[in-house]
Amino acid sequence: MTAPTTGPGTDPRPQVVGTDDGPAVAGVRCTACGHPSAFPRPRCPACRGPVVPALFGPTGRVWSSTVVRIPVPGRTPPYALAYVDLDDGPRVLAGAEGDAALAMDTPVRLLPADPAGDVRVAVVR
Amino acid sequence: MTVAVHGVGTSHFGRQPGRTLTDLAWDAVREALADAGTEDVDAVWVGTVFGAPGVAQRVLHALGITDVPVVTVENACASGTTAFLEAHESVRTGRYRRVLALGLEQMSTAFDGAITPEPTDAEGLSGLAMPALYAMAAHRYLETGAATLEQLAAVSVKNHAVAEHNDRAQYAGRYTVEQVLASRMIADPLTLLQCCPTSDGAAAAVLAPADGSPDEVLVRGLGFRSGSLWDHRSAHVWGYDLVAATAADAFAQAGTGPDDVDVFEVHDAFTVGEVATTEALGIVPPGDGGAAAAAGVTAVGGARPVNPSGGLLSRGHPLGATGLAQVAEVVWQLRGRAGGRQVEGARTGLVETMGGGVSGIDGNGCVVAVLAR
Ligand SMILES: [Zn+2]
Repeated sequence: MTAPTTGPGTDPRPQVVGTDDGPAVAGVRCTACGHPSAFPRPRCPACRGPVVPALFGPTGRVWSSTVVRIPVPGRTPPYALAYVDLDDGPRVLAGAEGDAALAMDTPVRLLPADPAGDVRVAVVR
Repeated sequence: MTVAVHGVGTSHFGRQPGRTLTDLAWDAVREALADAGTEDVDAVWVGTVFGAPGVAQRVLHALGITDVPVVTVENACASGTTAFLEAHESVRTGRYRRVLALGLEQMSTAFDGAITPEPTDAEGLSGLAMPALYAMAAHRYLETGAATLEQLAAVSVKNHAVAEHNDRAQYAGRYTVEQVLASRMIADPLTLLQCCPTSDGAAAAVLAPADGSPDEVLVRGLGFRSGSLWDHRSAHVWGYDLVAATAADAFAQAGTGPDDVDVFEVHDAFTVGEVATTEALGIVPPGDGGAAAAAGVTAVGGARPVNPSGGLLSRGHPLGATGLAQVAEVVWQLRGRAGGRQVEGARTGLVETMGGGVSGIDGNGCVVAVLAR
């Protein structure tokens, strides 16, 4: 197996890269079962099969969302978070604009790589 | 071999920054040993999450417990019940005869508020504090119509009210649904009174082979799992499937089901957690957890009493101590000595604890224990 075992650097968050189709999460997809992962896993976490690098996004839908209103180190509340199911891809935790939780199934789009390292999305209008 | 709980004990639960972990542990261990009618144990399993290296031996030797195997386990909020389960297994398999399970945690000196998200975790570094994870479960419940804001708040009302009968609880009070919803927003839609507090405490149990002594409580079934992958394929909120699978294991071992259980102590770190857990355990049908709380079904005096202690929401949640405090509550309930919060005639009880903090899976671990007279 020649799959990557580590991502760029040691940041544990999904890595967003630029592509001709827009921003994408650089992960892997299983060649045995098709399971998508938002991370450079050494093998498929679902079936233990081999994986190949894959790009996910830029579009997806909100599974759920919240606004954090308590202090968290390194962040200024309030800030919105959402679990986003990328189209034909993995569920990722993403930051979102504004201070209101996004409705379930809201269409969203990945934003370009954030200097702070977060995955971020914007609502598709 | 059938294993029994012969003694339980707990400290007071609450913000106790001026007390040492040794003081807290002593309250729990002294009571548990006295309850079991013994001074000696052959081994100790200790559950803690944020305890410093060596915390178990540092505390135990001060209590005069030395020269025995001591094993410390960390399993997030299920650390105490993991210690209980492993203590049980060591008795059941004959490795040791009488074993102490001890859970302890001092949170008030470690955190100003909520637990700091773990920066080596993908979602922790992304700012996902635990209240936010549960808030997204709550948001999902609301948006799919599985519960209402008022039903979520009803869990807080119920657990704070019954805690007035638990003098070891950190908080108690007669709140209205409106007051719960009007308390400070923590992570939308969860308000302060829907979140467990920052707590210090210890709890303990003494396990040994069942010997027919009048106060013993039998361990009938245990389930223990880590979470499976939680991802885009998961229809349920975080933790639901892990609780359901672990409970199925425990019920299979006990030869019982949820309808045979008279009293439940479950992991209500946040209101939505109790709602989801009552459904995952099969206490109520899927989607009925919120309505059941609002209708009093899950109150003491209702058909399916859940968290007569006041739960984590009111008793408090010193992580490593919680599971053994749940065990203590069920033991007191089954002995008929729970005072004003007693579930009349309770013969079978269930403890469920689950913990998280690792993203990508349905929970770090879950323990379900079925106990009976
Ligand atoms: Zn696979």
